[in-house]
Amino acid sequence: MQCSAALARLRPKLIPKALLVPTAAMSTAAEPVRKAMPSALTFDHHAKCSTTKARASTLHLPHGSVPLPIFMPVATQGSLKGLTYDQLRETGCMLCLNNTYHLGLKPGQEVLDAVGGAHKFQGWDRNLLTDSGGFQMVSLLKLATVTEEGVRFLSPHDGSPMYDSLPTSASVLHVGNLSQWLTTLRLLTPEHSISLQNSIGSDIIMQLDDVIATTSPDHARIKEAMDRSVRWLDRCIDAHKYPERQNLFCIIQGGLDLELRKQCCEEMVARDTPGIAIGGLSGGEAKEEFCKVVDTCTGLLPENKPRYVMGVGYPEDIVVAVALGADMFDCVWPTRTARFGNAIVDAGTLNLRHQKYATDFSPIDENCDCVCCRPTNQGGLGVTKAYIHHITAKETVGAHLLTQHNVHYMLKLMGSIRQAIMEDRYPAFLRKFFSNIYAGDKTKYPDWAVGALRGVGMDLLED
Amino acid sequence: MDSEPSPSREMTFSILGSAAPVLAPRVGTLALGGRQTIATPNLVPLTSRGAVPHISHDMVRKETAINSLYVGLEDFIERKHPAPLYNVPATANESPLRKFICAQDDATILLGPRRFPAIACPPNNTETSIAISTSVGFRQLEAHGYIEAIQKLKPDIAIGLADMVLGRPPGLKRRGKMVDRTHAYTRDALEHLYGESVAEKSKAKFFAPVLPLDNTQQSLYLDDLEGEFKDRIAGLALYESASLGYISEALGDLPRLLLSDPSSPHEVLREISLGADLLTVPFLQGCSDAGIALDFAFPVPAAVQARGEPQPLGLDLWSSEHAMDISPLVKGCECYACRNHHRAYFNHLLRAKEMAAWALLQMHNHHVIDRLMAGARDSIQRGTFEEDVKAFHRAYVANLPDRTGEGPRLRGYQMPAAGPHQPRRMPKVYGRLDDLSQKFAESQSSVATPDTDAEGLEKHGFAERI
Repeated sequence: MQCSAALARLRPKLIPKALLVPTAAMSTAAEPVRKAMPSALTFDHHAKCSTTKARASTLHLPHGSVPLPIFMPVATQGSLKGLTYDQLRETGCMLCLNNTYHLGLKPGQEVLDAVGGAHKFQGWDRNLLTDSGGFQMVSLLKLATVTEEGVRFLSPHDGSPMYDSLPTSASVLHVGNLSQWLTTLRLLTPEHSISLQNSIGSDIIMQLDDVIATTSPDHARIKEAMDRSVRWLDRCIDAHKYPERQNLFCIIQGGLDLELRKQCCEEMVARDTPGIAIGGLSGGEAKEEFCKVVDTCTGLLPENKPRYVMGVGYPEDIVVAVALGADMFDCVWPTRTARFGNAIVDAGTLNLRHQKYATDFSPIDENCDCVCCRPTNQGGLGVTKAYIHHITAKETVGAHLLTQHNVHYMLKLMGSIRQAIMEDRYPAFLRKFFSNIYAGDKTKYPDWAVGALRGVGMDLLED
Repeated sequence: MDSEPSPSREMTFSILGSAAPVLAPRVGTLALGGRQTIATPNLVPLTSRGAVPHISHDMVRKETAINSLYVGLEDFIERKHPAPLYNVPATANESPLRKFICAQDDATILLGPRRFPAIACPPNNTETSIAISTSVGFRQLEAHGYIEAIQKLKPDIAIGLADMVLGRPPGLKRRGKMVDRTHAYTRDALEHLYGESVAEKSKAKFFAPVLPLDNTQQSLYLDDLEGEFKDRIAGLALYESASLGYISEALGDLPRLLLSDPSSPHEVLREISLGADLLTVPFLQGCSDAGIALDFAFPVPAAVQARGEPQPLGLDLWSSEHAMDISPLVKGCECYACRNHHRAYFNHLLRAKEMAAWALLQMHNHHVIDRLMAGARDSIQRGTFEEDVKAFHRAYVANLPDRTGEGPRLRGYQMPAAGPHQPRRMPKVYGRLDDLSQKFAESQSSVATPDTDAEGLEKHGFAERI
C-alpha cells in the first residue's frame, strides 16, 4: 500500500467524508475481482454424528496437526500464565492463542520482527492462533472509538515509566506532544492488525472485526458493525502478506439478529478464507440466543472448513456448540478460574478455596490423569484438594498446578467428545455429560441446552 | 562417626576433606536412609507454604537438582489446632508433611518452626512458646506443640526452637533470657523426642540451634550441647556465620546448617570457608523476583578472568537493552530457561508481569547456585579454595545488581506488617485511566486534529507504514 493512502487512513481530517460515514452503497456489492485466497491448512473430515451436527476432523496446520473439535488455551501475552511450554505440551495442547493487541503493545512489532516471530519469541514449536485485537477494544478499553478507518484508542500501558523506555513499535502511531495528558494515541486498522499478525507469524490469524456487545440495543449500529466487518475483511485479505503460511479466518458478525448473521455468512463465505469464525458472542447474551446464532451460522457454512466459535469456554457451552456444528473454541476461563482456585471436574467446578476442602486429601479429580492428579506411584505428583486449598491464591505454584489440571481437563474433554463423534455415540455422551454435572437430576438441566439440542434432533431428557 | 546406637543412627555425615575440624572449609556427604545423599557444602532450598516459590513440583523434579527442602511450620498452622496437615492419611513410615506438600520421596525435608527468612513478630516469645506469623495473623507456637509437630509430621531433620530477637539487636538482659529459654526448649525437645521413657522415639534428626550471640554469652548452653545433649543431636543450626567460630572441636563432626541471609555470592563463599555445610541463599529468590538472572561461576572460568575488569554478578532483565536480545541469559548455561528461551522473552515477560518470568528465572538462579556449590566442593577437594575465592573477588564486583523493576505481589507473610498510617503496599493498578476517560471524550475533536498540519505529522513518523 502506498504511503499516501495509509496517511489518509490514519487521519480523519484527510479522509474523504464518504469514507468516514459509510453507507450501504459502500458495501461489498460493487467489489472488484477478489484476490485469490491460498490456504496453509488442510482440513480432514472424519466423521459426522448421525443425529446432531457434531463433526470430528483433523486440522493440519504449519506447526502440526490439531484434532477437532478442540479447545485452545489462551497464552495472552506469549506465556500460558506461569506454565513452561513443556508443561503445556504435556497437556497435549497442539494449538494455543496469543493476543495481537497485547503483543502489539508489548513487546511490539519491532521486537517480533527482530526475533523472527512469536514462535521463536516464546519458544513454542506448535501452532499459534492470534485474534485481531478487535475484541480487546470492547473488553478492555473504555476509551476506544471505532471509525471506518479502524479503532482509535488510548493505550492503558502508556504513562508507565517501564513502558517508555521500550522501543516504540512503528505500527502504532505516536503523537508525542499532542497534549499534556494524552501521551499516546493509537490507531488499530485492519492493515495494522494483519501486519502485526504477519510479524507474529501465527498459523491462524483473524481479521479485524468491528466488535460490539451483543447486548447492544442499537440495531443500526449492529448492522453497521456487520457491514464494516465485511469491508474490513477485504482490507485484511489485501493486506495479508503470507497467505501461503498463515491462514486468515473471517469473523461472522451481526449480533443476535439471525438475518444479519445470514447476510454476513453469505458475504464472508464468498471470500473463501481457509477457516471461518463466529464472533461477537460470549458477551453476556442469553444462551438461547447464542445457540440460535451458532446453529444458524453453521447451517450456512461450507462443510470443508473449520468453524471457530470465539471466546466460548464453559464445558457445557462447548459440548452444546459442538452438537451445533462448531469445531474450535477458546476462552480464558479455565486458566483464569484456576488462578482463583477453581478446579474443573466432571461434576462441574470446585471452588477449592472453600473451607471444606482444607482437609480433603483426595486428588483434585479422581478420574483425571494430569500430572497433578496422577498418584505418585504412577509418576504423578499426588496433589490433593487440601494442598491446593493451602497454596491457592497465595503462591504462584498453586496457580501453575491448577492451570495444568484445568487445561488438561479441557483437552481431555475435547478428546472424549471427538472419540464419541467418531464412534457415533455423541448423543449418549451428551446425556452422560449433563447427568454428571447435575447428578442425574434432569429437572436441573438448563433449558437453553435442552432446547438447542432439540433443535438438532436430540432429546437430552430422554433416557 | 559415633557408631553407638543413637537417634542419629540412620544418618551419616562423613567429612571427606577438611584442613581443620572448625573454621575451615570442608567437603562431606550427608546420607539419610531413603533420601538422596547430599554432597556438602550445599544449598538448602527454601519453601513457602511447602512449595519452592515459582517452580511447580513437576518442574522441580524434572529440571532442577533440588534434593532437600526447608519447610517452616508456621506456614501450615494458621487456623485452629489440629491443622489440616496433621490429618493427612499416611502409613506409619510416611511423613504426613511430605505427603501434604507433595514433595518427592527422596528429598530430605528440614522442618523449622518458622519460615526462613522469618519476619519479626510484634508479640513476644515466652518461656514456653515463640511468636510466629501466619497468613492470618500472629500467634504463639507452644514449645510442646512444636515437639508434637516433629513427632507427627516426621520430617527427616528437625531444627530446634530458639528464642530469637528479629529486626533489632537484643538487649543485654534479653540475651541472657534467649540462652536460658533456648537451653530449656532444647532440653525438653530432646527429652520428649528421644528420652529413655519415650516409647516410640522420634526418627527425625535433631539439629540444635546455636544462637546468634557471642561465645561467652551462651557458653553454658554450648557446653551442654557438647556434653549432656551430644548423643541426641545430629547437627547444628546456626543463624550467623560468626557462630561457626564458636563450635568446639568436640562438635566438629556434626553437620552445620547455616540459616543466614548472605548479601552476595562472595559472602556465601566466606560462609563455606568458615565451615558451613548446608546453606540458605535467600537472595536467589530475591533476584528471581526482581528480574535478575545470576551470572557468575566458581571457580572463575578463564574467559571471565581474561576480561580484566570486575564483572557484574547478574543481569537485570528489566533493562530495555535486552528487548531484542536473542541470546540466552548466560551463554553456555545448561538450565531449562537458558536452553529454551532468550533475554528478549524475559524482558517481555517481566514487563507483562507474567508469572513465567519468575518461574524460569528461579530455575536459572537455582542452577547457578548449584554450580557454585559444586565448584566450591571441587575446589576444596583440590585444595585450591582459598586462591579460587581470591580470584572470584578479583573477577566479580562486590554487590548484586540493584533491583529496578517490580516483582510479584508480596503477601502478608512475606513482608513485615505495616504500622498505622503507612502508604499502601502496592500501587493501585485498576482504573488508572478512569479520570482520563472523561477528558478524552470532551476533547475528542482536538485529539483527532492535532495542532500541526499534515507535513508535521508525517515528519513525526505519524503515517509511516511498515
